[in-house]
Amino acid sequence: MAIDLDRCQGCRACVEACKIENNTPSAVFWMYVFRLEEGTYPDTSISFLPRPCQHCHNPPCVKVCPTGARFHRDDGIVLTDFDRCIGCRYCEVACPYGVNFFNWRKPEQAFADYQLKMDDPDLAAVTGGLIPPYRNPDLDELQGDEQRRTAGSAHYKGVVEKCTFCVQRVEKGLDPACVVTCPVEALVFGDLEDPNSPVSTYLRGRDQFKLLEELGTDPSVIYVGGTPPTPDAREIERPMTGVGNANA
Amino acid sequence: MPTRDMRQPLPMGVGSLTRGWAAVLALGVVGTVVGIVGYAVERTQGMVATGMRDLGTMQGATWGIYIALVVYFVGVSFAGITVAALIRLFRLDKLRGVARMAEVLTVVALILGALAIIVDLGQPVRGVINLFRYARPQSPFFGTFSLVISGYLFASLVYLYLTARRDAAVLARRPSRLQGFFRLWAAGYEDTPEQRARDRRVTFWLALAILPLLVIAHSSLGFVFGLQVGRPGWFGTLQAPAFVVLAGVSGVGHIIVLAAIVRKALGLERRIGRDAFGWLGLFLLGLLATYLYFVVVEVLTIIYQPGVIEQRLSEALLSGTYAWLFWGSVATLVVPFLILAWMALTRTWRVGWLVTSGILVNLGAIGKRYLIVVPSQTHGQLLPYGVGSYTPSLVELAVTVGLFSLGAVLITLFMKVFPIVDLETEASTELEEVSA
Amino acid sequence: MTKRGVVTIGMILVGAVLMVWSYFVGAAPWCATGVECSNPRVEWAPALFVLGVVVAFSSALYYSIAKDK
Repeated sequence: MAIDLDRCQGCRACVEACKIENNTPSAVFWMYVFRLEEGTYPDTSISFLPRPCQHCHNPPCVKVCPTGARFHRDDGIVLTDFDRCIGCRYCEVACPYGVNFFNWRKPEQAFADYQLKMDDPDLAAVTGGLIPPYRNPDLDELQGDEQRRTAGSAHYKGVVEKCTFCVQRVEKGLDPACVVTCPVEALVFGDLEDPNSPVSTYLRGRDQFKLLEELGTDPSVIYVGGTPPTPDAREIERPMTGVGNANA
Repeated sequence: MPTRDMRQPLPMGVGSLTRGWAAVLALGVVGTVVGIVGYAVERTQGMVATGMRDLGTMQGATWGIYIALVVYFVGVSFAGITVAALIRLFRLDKLRGVARMAEVLTVVALILGALAIIVDLGQPVRGVINLFRYARPQSPFFGTFSLVISGYLFASLVYLYLTARRDAAVLARRPSRLQGFFRLWAAGYEDTPEQRARDRRVTFWLALAILPLLVIAHSSLGFVFGLQVGRPGWFGTLQAPAFVVLAGVSGVGHIIVLAAIVRKALGLERRIGRDAFGWLGLFLLGLLATYLYFVVVEVLTIIYQPGVIEQRLSEALLSGTYAWLFWGSVATLVVPFLILAWMALTRTWRVGWLVTSGILVNLGAIGKRYLIVVPSQTHGQLLPYGVGSYTPSLVELAVTVGLFSLGAVLITLFMKVFPIVDLETEASTELEEVSA
Repeated sequence: MTKRGVVTIGMILVGAVLMVWSYFVGAAPWCATGVECSNPRVEWAPALFVLGVVVAFSSALYYSIAKDK
């Protein structure tokens, strides 16, 4: 995947698209966009940095996984087998990008914060029970040659999940939800090893960098048209990120 | 409370229930129940009941006090088998009195360590099955589960069982309610010279086999942290050796405390003498000196010319959020060091001060374990997520209390079904042989 | 050499072979770049590793407890 930082306007439409496609619970951001500020007032600058899973070629999360629930497919996508994960969260501490999310709650509780309660009598009067809570049916299928349950979110409590590059869409030849939703086409998806793929042609001749490349993780998300965040960078606006604290 | 029947009481207070013992047991059971209730809450609500949260956007720590306890308990287990093995290898006969309780402590601590892992898992049942089914050697957890929990625990059990067989045989000859149990334990033990020679050979080789296993086991726990390049404060070559040494500090500290309690409770002032405590004190002093050296090296490394993230981390540790815990832990390690050094120089080993040191170093060890696990997650993010925080929830504290209480329950129960100090007959016959 | 010694050394060897075999051959390979890295080559190989440890240390039990015929 290539991400053009010159184009990104920080609208976070990709974040929304991801949540809808993958049915992620509240406070879980498989795709996230940093809205960053650098410098001191009045000489400040603002930048945006989308952060999906980096799908590293040398993934620390895969190395540390004690049960092989986290694995690297031959096409480069790093996935989690929700049927095998034991919830030790080692991948989460090993990942320098902070892209892993643990299912702290049961799936049915995980959405309670922001989903409409369909059995609410007030709501039923309006919808007549005709609009069920949305759940993407593709997420229940087993994916790939290896036929593992890797797509979507919140199948069980107590397992770790993260961005899958929308494996359920990629398997059908579609681009990930964030890519197709981006209104300014800042995200480009494709096979980096194929010189004629859209992402390879897009990257050709452009300055590029990878996040935390010095750690040797060799990410397959490549950024163009910008610079890595400096240590001075700080977030200026954050979405709701708490889970289960008091009455969240 | 004397035994009701007229039979002769068993030695070392085995089988005779006293009021003090019952009080300790009751306290332990209450604590264990608190822990079970806490864990039930965690299981029914999900791990949202803990204070742990995701790294990154959720700004939490995904490993908390449970992992600190895993490391701590496995660390405590160090002592038992080391002391027992050293006694066999170097024939330190004055320490014979603490060998058995040290072995028991190892087994109990390992059980607690395993339980601490289980309570931390999001899918505990799957964890138990999948680790045996799919575990990958590339993950540092492979060593933790296969070597530490399985191998080390089994080896310690074998060691405890074999070294106690002769005592079981002695006790099986006396009529008591536990006679059948002792007979089972003795497994047809016959006190012949050949058998004794075999026992010596077996315990020697077991001790020799367990010592490297021990270094590997504690190092593998260090590798869980030390191999993670993406986590400032963890990545480093010092982690594995520092883990081994701090394991020894907490373990030997624990043995001193346990030995003092047993000595007092059973009136064994002669059996567990001053010189035994003195030897343990010296051992603890040496380990503590090594560990404090590591602390100095560690601090110097993070303050001399730190990278940007390391600096954030070192400020949080030395003068920020975690400063009270860091300096508190260092103090609880330095003060015992001074006490022990003073006693070593003046050659006066006071049990009271030794116990104080034992308790303090364990507080320090728990603090240091916590500081290894948590700050690198809350303050060690390499992307601009902002600083996180973590506070253990009531559920986690309840489970912590439960684990410690369960350990107390197991040891107090063991004391009443088997002599926690090996019987003198064994020591004397063996001593005769040694001198012969 | 007595039967006791032979059996004991045999148990240690069997345990060691089980450990080495399951670690290097049976369990998942040391890599992180393919699906095959996530599965043990032989299922339950880690359990065999643990079994190897148990067999090796059980030799001490046998050596100490076995009766002379």
